[in-house]
Amino acid sequence: MESLFLQQVVNGLIVGSVYSLIAVGLTMIFGVMRISNFAHGDFSMLGAYVAVFILAWLPGWLGWVGSLLAAAAGVGLLGILIERGLFRPLLTRWTDLDQIMVSIGLFILLENLAQLFFGATPRMLPDPFGEATLNLGLFSTSVMRLLCFILALVIIILLQIYLNRARMGVAIQATAQNRKAAQLMGININRVYSLTFALGSALAGLGGVLYGTLFAIYPTMGAMPTLKAFVVTILGGMGNIRGAIFSGFILGVAETLGGSYISMEYKHAIGFIIIILVLLIIPHGLFGRSEE
Amino acid sequence: MKLLETQKVSKYFGGLCALKDVDLSLNQGEVMGLIGPNGAGKTTLINIISGAYHPSEGKVIYDGRNISRLKAHQINVLGVARTFQVVRIFKRLTVLENVLTAMVDRGREGPWKLVWGSFFRRACAFNQDAAACATAEGLLASVGLLRYRDEQAENLPYAMTKRLEIARALATRPKLLLLDEPSSGLNPAEQNEQIKIIRQINQQGVTILIIEHVMKVIMDISHRLIVLHYGEKIAEGAPQEVYRDPLVVEAYLGGEAHA
Amino acid sequence: MTGPRQKLLWALAAALTLALPWLISDRYIQHLLVMSLIFVIFASSWNLLTGYAGQLNLGHAAFFGIGAYTSALLALKLGVPPWIGLFLGGFLAAGSGFVLGIPSLRLSGPYLAITTIGFAEILRLVAMNWVSLTRGSLGLYGVPPLPGFFGIQFTTELTFYYVALAGAALALFCFRRLTRSEFGLSLQAMREDEQGAESIGVSTNRFKLTVFTVSAFFGGFSGALLAHYQRLISPDLLSLHETFQALTMTIIGGLGTLTGPVIGAVLLTFLSEGLRFVEDVVKIDVRLIIYGALLVVTILFMRGGIVGLWERLRAGRGQDTEER
Repeated sequence: MESLFLQQVVNGLIVGSVYSLIAVGLTMIFGVMRISNFAHGDFSMLGAYVAVFILAWLPGWLGWVGSLLAAAAGVGLLGILIERGLFRPLLTRWTDLDQIMVSIGLFILLENLAQLFFGATPRMLPDPFGEATLNLGLFSTSVMRLLCFILALVIIILLQIYLNRARMGVAIQATAQNRKAAQLMGININRVYSLTFALGSALAGLGGVLYGTLFAIYPTMGAMPTLKAFVVTILGGMGNIRGAIFSGFILGVAETLGGSYISMEYKHAIGFIIIILVLLIIPHGLFGRSEE
Repeated sequence: MKLLETQKVSKYFGGLCALKDVDLSLNQGEVMGLIGPNGAGKTTLINIISGAYHPSEGKVIYDGRNISRLKAHQINVLGVARTFQVVRIFKRLTVLENVLTAMVDRGREGPWKLVWGSFFRRACAFNQDAAACATAEGLLASVGLLRYRDEQAENLPYAMTKRLEIARALATRPKLLLLDEPSSGLNPAEQNEQIKIIRQINQQGVTILIIEHVMKVIMDISHRLIVLHYGEKIAEGAPQEVYRDPLVVEAYLGGEAHA
Repeated sequence: MTGPRQKLLWALAAALTLALPWLISDRYIQHLLVMSLIFVIFASSWNLLTGYAGQLNLGHAAFFGIGAYTSALLALKLGVPPWIGLFLGGFLAAGSGFVLGIPSLRLSGPYLAITTIGFAEILRLVAMNWVSLTRGSLGLYGVPPLPGFFGIQFTTELTFYYVALAGAALALFCFRRLTRSEFGLSLQAMREDEQGAESIGVSTNRFKLTVFTVSAFFGGFSGALLAHYQRLISPDLLSLHETFQALTMTIIGGLGTLTGPVIGAVLLTFLSEGLRFVEDVVKIDVRLIIYGALLVVTILFMRGGIVGLWERLRAGRGQDTEER
């Protein structure tokens, strides 16, 4: 019993690390640009497919490293294009509604383009460790999942370092906290927007590759990471990066525990139930949000 | 006769004190000016009187009734209307519709009565109701907006949006009108026009509380002035008196120097 | 609306609408007509809530599904006559609309969007997993048809067309009255600026709850119609996809206008089927790609959708006889 509990917590943390990674991208974009991107999960889907194709062509370690790099670069680049083409033109005149609708249009578009180009058959990423598992007494986990967890953590930590140390990283944080003040301090807002969107999308792409190590990959899978990332983002306070990181783990653990102790069927409802309760009690999420 | 009174009204945001023990009293038919440097708490006071915020301490008495805990829409129904520093007109409605919307008698029964009324009370669309339109047109004419009647409000020139907001507020038939910087951003000619309009409104018996930075406007139309500084009332009286008050001069010059 | 020429045009349009299924004997096209009409009601009800009142509801499919399941289950399990079930489905949806309205009192924008999605997703999972009642993902089949009268059976596309037409006409009549009245103006004021609306006496909280309830009623009603037409319903009715369908139709037609969702629903139902013939030739599924692309293009370049475009063209020709 005790070990089952621990096992579920570990599984939850692993899934949660991927949720965190994807949600951090979403929350960054919201914090800086006030864009709620409903197509965010489709960026993850694209990232996962990048890995599918690269690994089919180049198996082994090189393939994995290449997948991660290509997913980050490719989806990041796509992010820049989409930001320039779709979101930037609306930035001055849109209402919340317009912006969300555009991203929903993009969501429908990407999902179905993927269906067209990639086919509907679900795919799996190959396990480089031949399904080796690691038994640590109280719990066990496959080596691949463990690596996924570590990678997610490393990326999140690297991002934190970048945001706190690098010049542009600090500029991103400053803009998220106060757009006008940042502009007055001579920060080039347009560059910050492009960079934020690129970075946020790249995180979604990377998250997608890791997501693909845990779950099946198919063209319409994007809805799941989108919804999870929104749940996490709202839980952590929209625009709050640290909040998103913690909330990702919270959601992951809550889901696996709820799935095994309450009901497997309603596992995916747990996140929604949590945020509906949280929003009704604390409207700005567990960790507050960045204020304009 | 007193129409409005605030008794030791204070407002805190988190630990920050925006207003401290402000007493104010307005007589029926009076125009009271509310001045003070930026961040003095003027808009906060209007927000509290109009119900957008509730006071942290103290009471707001309107027409002999404590309204401190009422919501904005309830206070409006009692006869208090307002305008906003940054205009809040209904952009994608026509000028006429902006005013018509404010004329709806929402009374006590609320939206369900209006749903019912959609089917049984009026034969045709509300914006084709002759009597209502005539009244709304009268209001538009009084602020010189009649020629924009069917224009979308978002296409109005800036000065006209300020006037539209006043017309909309008047359409709720207020006894007390709260004006938050009605002439900010206007050129001198437009300011004069605005003074005329406000005077006219007052002559029809509406009591007015007005925040204004443009000294000419405020000295011209207020009967009395109140000066706020860092959330506290530092002076009160006839405009000329207050203008010479050393404390006020200090607040303004000091405020300027710090800013 | 006023001139004799316009009256004539309206009469012609009405006559054409009534005669349409007789002019087109193809049962598949008749089927599309029925589907368009059901989506006219569904999309219009979403439009009332989001287009007029400004409340971004992305869980509208919940009402669609509640209406469909309520009416179908009442007929299957308790033998409630479907004609009554149509309205009971609407009323139960209205009740749940009131409940879903409660979060809107404190939330807006993305927060409200996710909460409403969550509401619909939770209900979809219930429909999937409460197998003893709903038969889960298999769906409910054998839903009884609407009972006929005077020897007319409502089991064919041709006859059901008139039921759907009557339903759509009733709904559109209601929406027209509701949006043009003092109620509708108050809703639009709330959409444009909540604080501004409060300042002129609009109790935004009560208006939100009311509009959620009214909109949900019609959403449920359209779902119930669908249930007795298709006679097979599944949890997919509650999915995000159905909401996005209503959203796309409304936006392409014209958000916040009466005719917008009507045009959008008819156009997209036929367009997507028309493209199905193209697909048979090119062997590629292009329908939803076009949906998505149209949605993005409309928002970026065609503000106000088709109705907006039409109005601009008319204004451009110098005939600014405003009629809204």
